[in-house]
Amino acid sequence: MIEIRGLGKSFVGQDGGTVEALHDVDLDVVENEFLTVLGPSGCGKTTLLKCIAGLIPWNEGDIVIDGTPVRGPGPDRSMVFQNFALLPWATVLDNVGFGLRLRGVGRAEREERARSLIDVVGLSGFETKRPHELSGGMQQRVGIARALAVQPSVLLMDEPFGAVDEQTRRLLQEELLSIWEQHRLTVVFITHSMEEAVLLGDRVVLMSARPGRIAEIVPVPLQRPRSNDVGALERSGAYVEITAYLWDRLREMHEEHRPSEVAG
Amino acid sequence: MTLAAADRAARRAPRGRSGPRTGKQPGALGRLLGSSLPYQLVTFVAFAAAWEVYATVWGGLLIPSFTETVHATIGLLVSAELWAAMYVSNQALALGFAIAVLIGVPAGIVLGRFRWLERFADVYLNILLVTPMAAIIPLLVMSLGFGLASRVVLVAIFSIVMVVVNSRAGVRQVDPSLIEMARSFGATERQIWTRVLLPGAMPAIMTGIRLGVGRAVTGMVIVELLMVSAALGGLILEYRGLFKAASLYGTIVIILAEALLLISAARWAERRLTGWAQTDSARSAR
Repeated sequence: MIEIRGLGKSFVGQDGGTVEALHDVDLDVVENEFLTVLGPSGCGKTTLLKCIAGLIPWNEGDIVIDGTPVRGPGPDRSMVFQNFALLPWATVLDNVGFGLRLRGVGRAEREERARSLIDVVGLSGFETKRPHELSGGMQQRVGIARALAVQPSVLLMDEPFGAVDEQTRRLLQEELLSIWEQHRLTVVFITHSMEEAVLLGDRVVLMSARPGRIAEIVPVPLQRPRSNDVGALERSGAYVEITAYLWDRLREMHEEHRPSEVAG
Repeated sequence: MTLAAADRAARRAPRGRSGPRTGKQPGALGRLLGSSLPYQLVTFVAFAAAWEVYATVWGGLLIPSFTETVHATIGLLVSAELWAAMYVSNQALALGFAIAVLIGVPAGIVLGRFRWLERFADVYLNILLVTPMAAIIPLLVMSLGFGLASRVVLVAIFSIVMVVVNSRAGVRQVDPSLIEMARSFGATERQIWTRVLLPGAMPAIMTGIRLGVGRAVTGMVIVELLMVSAALGGLILEYRGLFKAASLYGTIVIILAEALLLISAARWAERRLTGWAQTDSARSAR
């Protein structure tokens, strides 16, 4: 369980002034929950994720995971990056095993676990390929396998499907659902897509910008498992309704901040 | 050929070369025409012929013909004099270049990682880049004498700039998100160096080493020609003094051959070590 209390983060902007990226964020993520975080760009959702990952410091508040305060990156968490962040010189096998290698796992065990996760993400037969030989979707499968290989209890995903084309994105969403249904772990998933937030999440955290704070937490009343028939789910009334609601809220936020753009 | 044999042949097709493969493999003739070797041979033959004609028609004592140069080169190659000179020259080259790599690579990496050091180092790097090195030879000889030391130091400062500048660029062009990724998996600072920064910078470091080899050969010859008058440079001066034009040309041919050989070796090592980067359009200096 992740408990975030009164989290505040500000940094010095380019003009020398202080930019408040996160303001008084309170959030609980329960065990094995799939939480999606949705918001306009610049709302601090990636900052929030990096704070949970322990990659950047914050100014106020606490993040506690299973009773332990976050002081830096830890073996209980792993991250999937928007730009994949794969080592271009390493093979798929070595990329997937990279986290294990950093943690001192021996070669035999490392490769065995890497191979089994390569199988999970459907990349068997590509073990010796290097990232530049793979499509974007395949590269992100490597990124997901690498994150899962260290057996985290919390998976942090920063717009992981933002850089792949629409069709690949849909396939990856379905596969992520089915992986999560089988492996059961806590996921915090950042996205700017309403459809993605609803399709994947148990709850959608809606954030607003300047300063970044939580505007609303919207439960998603769609039943699980969802991976077997995503198409039917997307045509269901509940899905359409909640997506429309999220869009209304997002549009309100845009109007608050940039009235001229929406009015004109 | 049976089907099984064809299958085996297909499996024997070259592997290991990464990157997308286009269609079918070209035959031996196609590969030969595809490489630049035949074209280089053609230009070389044309050059040799033009040289031969010019030297026999207009040449005299000072311009040997192509065939005379070839004869002289062969003569030099079997003489003890040349190999003694080669040994002495290459001592300075090997020591000087080794120093350049041993100091230059770590220095470049540190400069690339810790940018504030730039303020201290930049001016010296610029000086090394633009100074006509010939100008500092007298200075070196005054402080270090005519021995091996001044030649070694000159070779080192000739080549170290390329090594430092490219190593620095190599570390800088490592994607910062890879460092963040490694940190998210709990990498220590040491692991970030060994697992991310060094492998990521390796292609540029190898490029720096290859360019540095070229500069080192230049430095080796220049110092011998201008001041120390030893070894290969000494031979050149001696043959010039004796009007042994063919031998003079032969010595230069041999120096050129050595430089080409060293650079090819460096390029080969570069390919072997950093094949993954060859398809990267992000390569800066080539």
